[in-house]
Formats: sequence, C-alpha cells, structure tokens
Amino acid sequence: MIEQGIIDKTNQVFEEFFEIESGRLQPQAHIFTDLGLDSLDIVDLIVALQNKFKIKIRNEEDVQNIRTLQDIYAFIAAVKSREAAKTA
Amino acid sequence: MKLKRVVITGMGAVTPLGHDVPSLMAGIEEGRSAVRYMEGWDQYLGMRSLVGAPAELKDEKKIPRQQRRSMGRMSIFAAQAAAQAVADAQITLSGAPGFRIGCAIGSTMGSAKSINDTFEIMLPKKDLSQLNSTMFFQCMSHTAAVNVAQYLGLNGYVLSTAAACASGLQAIGAGYDLIRLGKQDVMLCGGAEELHPTVTGSFDILFATSANFNKDPQRTPRPFDGDRDGLVCGEGSGVLVLEDRDRALARNARIYAEIVGYSTNGNGVHMSQPNKDAMVRCMQDALQESGIPAGDVDYINAHATGTPQGDCEEAAAVRELFGDAVPISSLKGYLGHTLGASGAIELIASIGMMEQGTIYPTLNLERVDEACGGVRHVLKRERADVDVVLKNCFAFGGINATLVCRKHRSERG
Repeated sequence: MIEQGIIDKTNQVFEEFFEIESGRLQPQAHIFTDLGLDSLDIVDLIVALQNKFKIKIRNEEDVQNIRTLQDIYAFIAAVKSREAAKTA
Repeated sequence: MKLKRVVITGMGAVTPLGHDVPSLMAGIEEGRSAVRYMEGWDQYLGMRSLVGAPAELKDEKKIPRQQRRSMGRMSIFAAQAAAQAVADAQITLSGAPGFRIGCAIGSTMGSAKSINDTFEIMLPKKDLSQLNSTMFFQCMSHTAAVNVAQYLGLNGYVLSTAAACASGLQAIGAGYDLIRLGKQDVMLCGGAEELHPTVTGSFDILFATSANFNKDPQRTPRPFDGDRDGLVCGEGSGVLVLEDRDRALARNARIYAEIVGYSTNGNGVHMSQPNKDAMVRCMQDALQESGIPAGDVDYINAHATGTPQGDCEEAAAVRELFGDAVPISSLKGYLGHTLGASGAIELIASIGMMEQGTIYPTLNLERVDEACGGVRHVLKRERADVDVVLKNCFAFGGINATLVCRKHRSERG
C-alpha cells in the first residue's frame, strides 16, 4: 500500500508543473498517452520529483520503466525505502 | 529579375504602455511615461540606475503549456505580439500550396531572467541535475524567433537577428529583402526584449544608464535634452506582418504602408562610440533605395536614447542630411529603451502617427542641448500629413539600421 503522502505530492507536481486537473490523475493514467507528457516533459518531471521528495532519481535505471502514475508512486516509494534503509 | 514590392499589413505590440497597439498609441497621445523605480534593484552592488520601463506579463496561460514551456518572458511577449499582428492582418497562416511564410524576430540575447535563473541554479555547486529541459530553449539566443515560429506553425525562413538595439529593425529589413527577392510571400518581423537588472547592469557598468532620476523616474530618459544622463531600459515586443504587395492587393488586405528603403551597416571604428559618418551613410543608402529625396521625408523617428554622446552624434548626422527641414522626435521618454524590440515598436508607433496625421513630441525634451541643435525637434504634438517616415536604430557594436516607409494610398500605382 503506497503512503498517501507520496500519492498527494506526486499529484501536486502534475497539477502545478504540468497544469493537469486533479480529476485526470488516476493511478492507471498513462503519463504519455493519457496525460499528454512528451520526452521534454519527462526530464522536467524527474527534476520536479527530485525537488518535491528531496531524492535523487535521475540515474536510477527503473526510471526508464515508468509508464503510469501508479508506476511513479511505486518507484518513489521504493527509492525512499532504500534511502531509509541506508541511513538506518 | 524584377524585385517585388513589400507592404505592411498587420501590427502587434506588447509594450510598457500596454498590451496592444491601441494602448501604445493612447499612452503616447496622453504623454505618459512608463518608467518607474524598480524595487529590489538596489541589491545589485554598484548598480547606479534603479529605474526601468516594465511591460505587464499577462494572459500567458492562454498559450498552451507545451508551447509555453520553452518561452521565457521575452518570448511570451513576442508570441503575443505576433498573434496580434496576424489577427490584424487577417491573414491565414496556412495558405495555398507553395505559400511561404516565415519570421524574423531579433533580440539582444535570450531570455535574461531565464539565463540568470539557470546560472543561479547551476553555479553554486556546478550542479546540472537541477536544470529543467526547457531552460536551454528559453536561454538560447534565437528563442524569440523559434517560439514565434512554433507557436504559429510557421515553416518558412526562421531568422533571428541579434544586433542589440538594431535587432528589430534588422529583422524587418531581412524580411523585406526576402520578400523583395521572391523567396518568401509573408514574413512576421520584429523584435523582443526583457527587462532585468542584469540587462540594465550591462549598460550601467559602462556608465551609459540614467542614474540621476532614481527619485523622479518619469523625468528620464531625456533624449536630446541638456540634462540627459543616459538610457533607461524597457521591455516588450513589436511584430509587423510584411507581405508581397501583389498578394496583399489581390486579397484586398488593409495596407498600412510600403517599405521603400532599408540599409544597415557597421561603423568599423569603435565598439561603443557612435559614429556620425556611418549613420549618415546608412540613412543615405536607405533613402537612395527608396528613390525619395531627403527633403520629402515627413518625419524621422529617432533612435536617441538619452545618452550624452549618442544623441548628439545622431543629431549631427540628421543635421548633415536634412538640416532643420524634417521634424524629428524620439519615443524613448515614453517607453524607455526596449532594446531589441525598439526598432519594431517605434516603427509601429510611427505608422500610428501616419494613420493619425499627428507627430508626437520627444517626452522630457525641455531644453534642447546645443550639441543636438540644428534639427527640427518636435516639442509639442503637431498635426501633419505623415506620408514618408524614416526610422533609425543605432546600436552597440557600431551597428546602424535605417528603414524608410511610405503611407499606402490606394490611388498610388
């Protein structure tokens, strides 16, 4: 179960940065075909998520596999839990 | 090869006096100065000039996000001005097969704020990972031209004429030459620039800015005036639709004016000092191309920015060619110096004067400096038949540009 905070903050990035209404931010929404992002936007999505969550994700391999919002939530959750494990 | 004739069929502007051409003309008619004290500029150590003429950024969200993301402030102004010009010309951007439409939009540099923000983010730790993908597109020097082209879907020539204060006029000249040669049918031409403390700062460190009126901003700049002390930076964009005259007549377009002469040159002498002889040569060449004698020019729209040296050098050049026969005024007192946009915005205002049969005075010109004398300064609004306008821009790097326009009258051949 993904922490609600991760869902909310990720959705905030889409609302604020990409000007997408919250009603369209369904977990199964495909970021390219449903939400209309393109290759330039993906670079900015990564920068925005890094700033929002204070994590580094640019060089993570799994970034390449992201297709839906749900994929982003799970990816962020995984990165955060790996970082928590390192500092524990 | 017979050269085509080139006419102006549309105009659009975002300026410190307002968000369109009517508000530009209304502001000048009312004698309004858009110069104000700029809050926060005193944080820049050593900055002498704390005044500027800002334009209002508004309605930017009407530009779809994926087109707007590559636009800094300056490109937004340019896109808005270009869209206004297209609407004014009532021109369809996708014409018949073989219809060729492009743009030439000049600016001194890319978006000043975006450049500033990019380095502020990157430099402290030389960290690239914080940079957005679109920062580069906002910073690159041809940003205004490509953003206008992408926004309007133009797929002809896309030119970016970077020549400081002559950028806008060089863009119009380039478009004129392309249409004359039959290489494009329509060109959207003009300039854009953004106000930012670093832009004023670049003139400030050369002592070229006005620093004596920080507490009384609307009294500066003072072109040709004995108390002038330098330029005041402004911002905005002006775009004109240039069209093959035959095409414009065939579609019954409203034609403002015909461009009848253009020239540009470098003085080959000094990077920042203006040179009267090169200015004279530039105006002569433009007039020669137009076939119009100097005495038949009805109004000269000056470059004069309020710098001690530039204004008197321009006055000397005008005196040599025209004596005191031709009314001359500068619009910098109302608008500040909009740099890359100035040639286009001020040409638009000059065409407005043609339309209104009125010549507007140089704002803040209260006591003509003796060194700027011997020409016919316009000190008060004058009613006049303005048929032929000569527009000058004289830029850093010793770049000069002059454009001659004649009012369109349908009975003319």
